[in-house]
Amino acid sequence: MIVQQLERAAPVTTAKRIAKPVEWGALHTAPPKPGRLVLRNLSKRFADSKHAAIEDIDLTCESGEFVVVVGPSGCGKSTLLNLVAGMIRCDRGDILLDDKPITEPGPDRAMVFQEHGLFPWLTAEQNIEFGLKMTGVPARQRRQLVDAALRMIHLPHSGHKLIHQLSGGMRQRVAIARALVLNPAVLLMDEPFASLDAQTRTLLHEQVQELWLQTGKTILFVTHSVGEAVRLADRIIVLHSNPGRIRREFKIALPHPRDFDSPEVGDLIRMVRKEIEDEVNRANAEQINGQ
Amino acid sequence: MDSDSVLPRDGTADPVVRPLATADEGAHSRPHRTKWIKILLVWLAALVLWEGSYRIIQWKSWQFPAPSHVVDATLDMLGVRTYFGDPLAEGWPWQRAGAHVHVAAGDAKLPKAIAVSGVRLLIGFSISLALGIFLGMAMWTWSFLDDLLGPLFLGLQTLPSVCWVPLAILTLGINESAILMVLVLGSFFATAIALRDGLRTIPPIYERAGLMLAATNWRLYRYVLLPASLPAMASSLRQGFSFAWRSLMGAELIFMLQNQGLGFLLNIGREFADVAQVVAVMIVMIAIGMTVDRWVFAQIERRVRNRFGLMAAT
Repeated sequence: MIVQQLERAAPVTTAKRIAKPVEWGALHTAPPKPGRLVLRNLSKRFADSKHAAIEDIDLTCESGEFVVVVGPSGCGKSTLLNLVAGMIRCDRGDILLDDKPITEPGPDRAMVFQEHGLFPWLTAEQNIEFGLKMTGVPARQRRQLVDAALRMIHLPHSGHKLIHQLSGGMRQRVAIARALVLNPAVLLMDEPFASLDAQTRTLLHEQVQELWLQTGKTILFVTHSVGEAVRLADRIIVLHSNPGRIRREFKIALPHPRDFDSPEVGDLIRMVRKEIEDEVNRANAEQINGQ
Repeated sequence: MDSDSVLPRDGTADPVVRPLATADEGAHSRPHRTKWIKILLVWLAALVLWEGSYRIIQWKSWQFPAPSHVVDATLDMLGVRTYFGDPLAEGWPWQRAGAHVHVAAGDAKLPKAIAVSGVRLLIGFSISLALGIFLGMAMWTWSFLDDLLGPLFLGLQTLPSVCWVPLAILTLGINESAILMVLVLGSFFATAIALRDGLRTIPPIYERAGLMLAATNWRLYRYVLLPASLPAMASSLRQGFSFAWRSLMGAELIFMLQNQGLGFLLNIGREFADVAQVVAVMIVMIAIGMTVDRWVFAQIERRVRNRFGLMAAT
């Protein structure tokens, strides 16, 4: 009880302060995309596996919705994301982004990887610029977009730095900027903060929340951290493992931006964690019985 | 302390992150310098001891030359006649001891030989590099080609490059092209293997990131895989050079051509039983090989690795 009181007494963090919205419309010539992502009967089994990694998943991410997929390791979360990214092909089912089927990787589904995947031979700003260059955005417009993106991630003076000169948190911020600057229909995040320390992670949660509120992107976020899920999500999908199915959905009705230390968030974390613990116990029991 | 945790939200003060320390940052520090002085002193002492013992017992200088003989031979090949190896007497080292006649020096064979070998190396190494890079990339792209050629190339690495000489003579005759053939055949596979191995270490995430960022088809090669392969490229260049240099020296040693390279000078030393010249040419060969390796290829490699934030190469 004392602990809880202490938590409540903690000052409200910076998440309340939101910077001015980024005027993407003014900088991007392409019309904004709604970013409605529909997965229908999606199934995928890898050749060397007994169970399907993903089986009959039906999931719709509404335009501008923040959906977080959680589940124990090996439950097919990353497979789900890679399918949407177009990195791997599904066996059955459809993936539709704004009613168009997905067949290959592309900048309309920009992804943030766990290991940032930034190019070490380029500086931070060249990394952010890379996708714009590849999609044929003119140099002047690229310059403006990159500057806006650097300001957005609060690194306006670090653009000239090489990737190995940045800290882990800064790298992930650059990776996020590299994805967002493309004005994607949906932003995919694959455990983006798993290898960061706790303080940096909290800071990045605030920033992601802020960026999401600014840009209104649809975000599909995969994590094994329940705390992360409850802090950020509109909706949490708990996956069932072997085969990978949707076990349960939680709608998080708390308003954004959230106070990460509020008792409501704490209660929800306990609730979702319970669900995942049940899932882990079930999977373990099944494995023992199966042997 | 992680710089993120002190980052102000408005981003006014950007924390400065210092670049990673590189291996030669300590190059001019005191312990480093004293280490080099020590190494230099030990070598100098060995040379003095060697020269001194020759002076005292006059041990067979026609079989194993003293340092002073090697100096004489080197200067002679540069067109300067000296007699450092002679006993100390009046006129030393410019006149033969006892004789008062000045002997004119021979022509400067060494610079000419270095130039001839250098041109051969430039042409041959370019061909070898083009072939090696092409095959290395091909082997990396098509695994069947790798299965086919990989073991063969590894086998070729065990074959001393001079073993190509008889074949080159029989197919092309005793001429420049035959020397180039030995050089190319003795070195391109080393480049190919080193490049293939380096390319295999490119993290697959770069390819995924590139595809996600719309770098498709040739763009993926040009803007992602090619720059990502630069560290591998740099090491394969270095590897290829050392093979090419050794092959060329071996080939020149055996081929007797009008254009006389360094290897030719080495063989002339043997024919005239001039052991001092033999040792002098060997030292020149080592010096050139080391200098190019250290000051050209190792520098390229170091720069690339620094840019990538990789550990400095040895």
